[in-house]
Amino acid sequence: MFSNNLKKVIASIAATAALTVTPFTNSASADDYPSKPVNYIIPFNAGGESDLSARFQQASFEKIAGVPTVIQYMAGAGGAVAWSQLNGMPNDGYTIMGINIPHTILQPLQKDVGYQTDDLTPVHYFHYTPDAIFVPVDSRFTNLNDLIEYAKQNPAMVTFSGSGSNSSNNIAQVRLDEMAGITTTYIPFSGTGPAITAVLGSQVMAGFNYATSGSNYGDKLRMLAVASDERLPAFPEVPTFKELGFDLVGGAYRGVAVPASTPEAIKRQVSDIVSNINADPEFKKKMEEGGFVLTDITYDKMDEFIAAKKKEYGAAAEKLGIVAKK
Amino acid sequence: MELLSYLLEALTPINLLLALAGVVAGTIIGSMPGLSATMAVAVLVPFTYTMAPASGLIMLGAIYTGAIYGGAFAAILVNTPGTPSAIATTFDGFPMAKRGEGALAITLATVASVVGGLVGGISLLLLAPPLAEVALAFGPAEYFWLAIFGLTLISALSVGNTIKGLIGACIGLLLSVVGVAVVGGDIRYTFDSQALLGGIDITSAIIGLYCIPVLIDLVATKDPHITMQSVDQRSHLREAFRFALGRKLNMLRSSVIGTIVGILPGAGGSIAGLVAYTEARRASRHPERFGKGEPDGLIATESANNATVGGGFIPTLVLGIPGTPPDAIILGALLVQGIKIGPTLFTAQGDVVYTFIYGLLIATLLMLPAGLLLGRYAFKSISKTPKTLLVPTVAFLTVIGSFAIHSNAHDTLMMCILGVAAWILNRFGFAPSPIVLGLVLGQIAEQGFVQTYLIGNAQGAIFDTFFGRPISLGIIICAALALFYPLIAEHLKRRKDRKEKGAIDVLTEAKQANTSCRSSAAIGFAALFIATGVGAYVETQDMSAMGAVFPGTIAVIMVVLAVILAFQQLRLPRGQKVSVEGHELDAPRESNIRRILAVVVLGAWAVLLPVLGFCVSSLLAFIALTANATFERPSKKEIVVNLLSAVVIVGGFYLLMTEVLLIRMPESLFF
Repeated sequence: MFSNNLKKVIASIAATAALTVTPFTNSASADDYPSKPVNYIIPFNAGGESDLSARFQQASFEKIAGVPTVIQYMAGAGGAVAWSQLNGMPNDGYTIMGINIPHTILQPLQKDVGYQTDDLTPVHYFHYTPDAIFVPVDSRFTNLNDLIEYAKQNPAMVTFSGSGSNSSNNIAQVRLDEMAGITTTYIPFSGTGPAITAVLGSQVMAGFNYATSGSNYGDKLRMLAVASDERLPAFPEVPTFKELGFDLVGGAYRGVAVPASTPEAIKRQVSDIVSNINADPEFKKKMEEGGFVLTDITYDKMDEFIAAKKKEYGAAAEKLGIVAKK
Repeated sequence: MELLSYLLEALTPINLLLALAGVVAGTIIGSMPGLSATMAVAVLVPFTYTMAPASGLIMLGAIYTGAIYGGAFAAILVNTPGTPSAIATTFDGFPMAKRGEGALAITLATVASVVGGLVGGISLLLLAPPLAEVALAFGPAEYFWLAIFGLTLISALSVGNTIKGLIGACIGLLLSVVGVAVVGGDIRYTFDSQALLGGIDITSAIIGLYCIPVLIDLVATKDPHITMQSVDQRSHLREAFRFALGRKLNMLRSSVIGTIVGILPGAGGSIAGLVAYTEARRASRHPERFGKGEPDGLIATESANNATVGGGFIPTLVLGIPGTPPDAIILGALLVQGIKIGPTLFTAQGDVVYTFIYGLLIATLLMLPAGLLLGRYAFKSISKTPKTLLVPTVAFLTVIGSFAIHSNAHDTLMMCILGVAAWILNRFGFAPSPIVLGLVLGQIAEQGFVQTYLIGNAQGAIFDTFFGRPISLGIIICAALALFYPLIAEHLKRRKDRKEKGAIDVLTEAKQANTSCRSSAAIGFAALFIATGVGAYVETQDMSAMGAVFPGTIAVIMVVLAVILAFQQLRLPRGQKVSVEGHELDAPRESNIRRILAVVVLGAWAVLLPVLGFCVSSLLAFIALTANATFERPSKKEIVVNLLSAVVIVGGFYLLMTEVLLIRMPESLFF
């Protein structure tokens, strides 16, 4: 649809880029891995926590691995579109994919999404974003106790916005309801962005979101409690649910997966690269400032970790009745 | 003044160069349906890590604004919006091109885009913090009503054919709920197919619904695609400027609409364009000309969608809430650079932000020369390219576009299926635009509705949550006006016509002639839609209450509309054999065999793409379509030229996709 001149320009740009960006090598041997850019597929749209943490990794990737990484998006069905195709992708270590818990545990329980939890091969879970309760800064609730008291007197009146149905946010809300003996209303939104906007605009009374939102909107929101083991370095004044007497620890865990048939040696190498990025002070600083909690669940610790999470979320899913009626 | 010192920073040669390169690259990418600003911006983000923050941002912003503008080219020249924000550009842009005013249409779109971009950019520069509050004032109820407002455009688009328009909207709305529901988490209407879990991709659906019918009809005759005026060497700039100046109220209103809608994180360019179009039509003294090549419609859409760029950056920079996917990527790039988002950004890091905003304004101004030049090229090449190459190239672009969104051949197949369905439906008076509107607005409407209901229910005030909020009320009034105004206007006009009996223009007469006989096809379609509606309703029985309410309601509405359509038809007298409504039957030269062949090739292409590989299947299909669009016995030289063109075009785009845009190709036999 363009003139021939333009086509020539495009073609020459393409050709130059081909020569400079991608030296074409076809070897899948572990010795010289990695020797060309690594494709990093994010199973969601741009702009969420998965994208942001991958972008942080990308900034340190070349320094650690010697080659750059290229981030691509493959959104759909809450990540299931990408995960169901992962094992059919090239297994040379140059295609890696973001992977999330509880998504990859809950989705196959609910319905046939084209993969089972055990089909996927995460090689490293590098961080999690704890669930946290937010209220607008001018809210009547100054602490968690205020909110729970109000909810006790006004059943179902408290509205929580959160990212999606049957998500980590949703589970945390239902768990808190059970632990505190209250009834609240969960309003699902199509992602953290719209959910937090609803809190900022006081469309809902509170939000069950991820702690990361606290660093972006710190002066407009108040974080009442965070579902981590210890207080977060970025928000030292925010208590954990545990401190307040609720055994609520959880959030979204994010890692890196490869196709199942990837050679063992390369799986380990990918795991090492992610570990080394986690150890990079610059990366660490940015992540912690952002409210992410770094974890170092490497390939050798993976089976144990997944088994534990499957048990935890499997029980939660059953209690919530979100297991598929077959 | 401090603000002005930042302007000088934006004017450094390197920043100017980046802005120009960004605008040109963005315009080219935006003009190709399916290649989106999001892709280009995502690929370029890593390069900006090593640049000065402001320079990197300027380039990303320039690409983004260029792409939104570039979407108009394809909309005007081949009736396919290059980006979803150019949907309403097709309504009048393509009719203008068809009657020989393509060059003028492109120039008008350029002027309107520049004006819209400037209004959005200046709002960002001067009013960002207060305007950001608009984003927060919009809750689920407001989004729901905004989507309804967008849907009311159907009443204007399908005057004289309202029932069919509304049925089309129901089809689109039902298509929009396919896949995993955000609210409630149900899987709906996937027929146990994993390919449908992710839903129907809006961009590939738009490409299919608008572009495939054009393609199918393109191969049926040897007539040229668009007519070119005989004296077309002059520049249309002066004419366009004079014209645009006369429409400054429209342009300003549309730009303000675009800026405000751009600020709303859930809305975006497509809604901005549609709302501005509706308002322009309502305010116009000649609403009946809209949709038939009225420049006012084109101006409204194009100024509105480019205004969303500046508008979208307002919540992104002030609140950290990205309005659109490119905004989200740019926000990520900022965070990686260690720039803290928030109201303090404008004071603490004013150097970066203001340099960026000036860069964006400069890029917008650069659209004028760059766009006019590229536009002339695009227009000339489209009008001069012989059909033998135009058909396969446009087909190739539809395949690229639908595939590239998710690197997924399923989307290409869906694009073809919807395209063929749209062609058939269009022949029987069901236009594609209502379907597209339903598809685009469905999710916003559904989420807004269910969230509003849940919030209202929690507070025991469902009615108040829907109708008691001031902004909601304002939107409801606008929607009601938009819905009933065309009907009232038509009614008044008909009464006037009846008074002046003699002066019925040929068009209404033709329309009456066509609708006054019973059409067995229309009754058949009505039966089909009743069955679809009932089927869709039955399916909702297995869904959660949250997931069932919206598709259930739509299904019921669809059945009611289809019953009305059937009754309307049954009341008409049995007519002669005029089975195809509203379509010219006086064209015996149209070749249906070629049409069927084109559909077969497209289908085979989509199916074989993941098997044979993108490049090989595309080359084969390209050659097949060239042959299908060849009407005279070609000379040996022509065959060689066509084969060479096929290799160059397919190879060039293949390289562009794999090496520049880094789009993943399917694992296949060949490449």
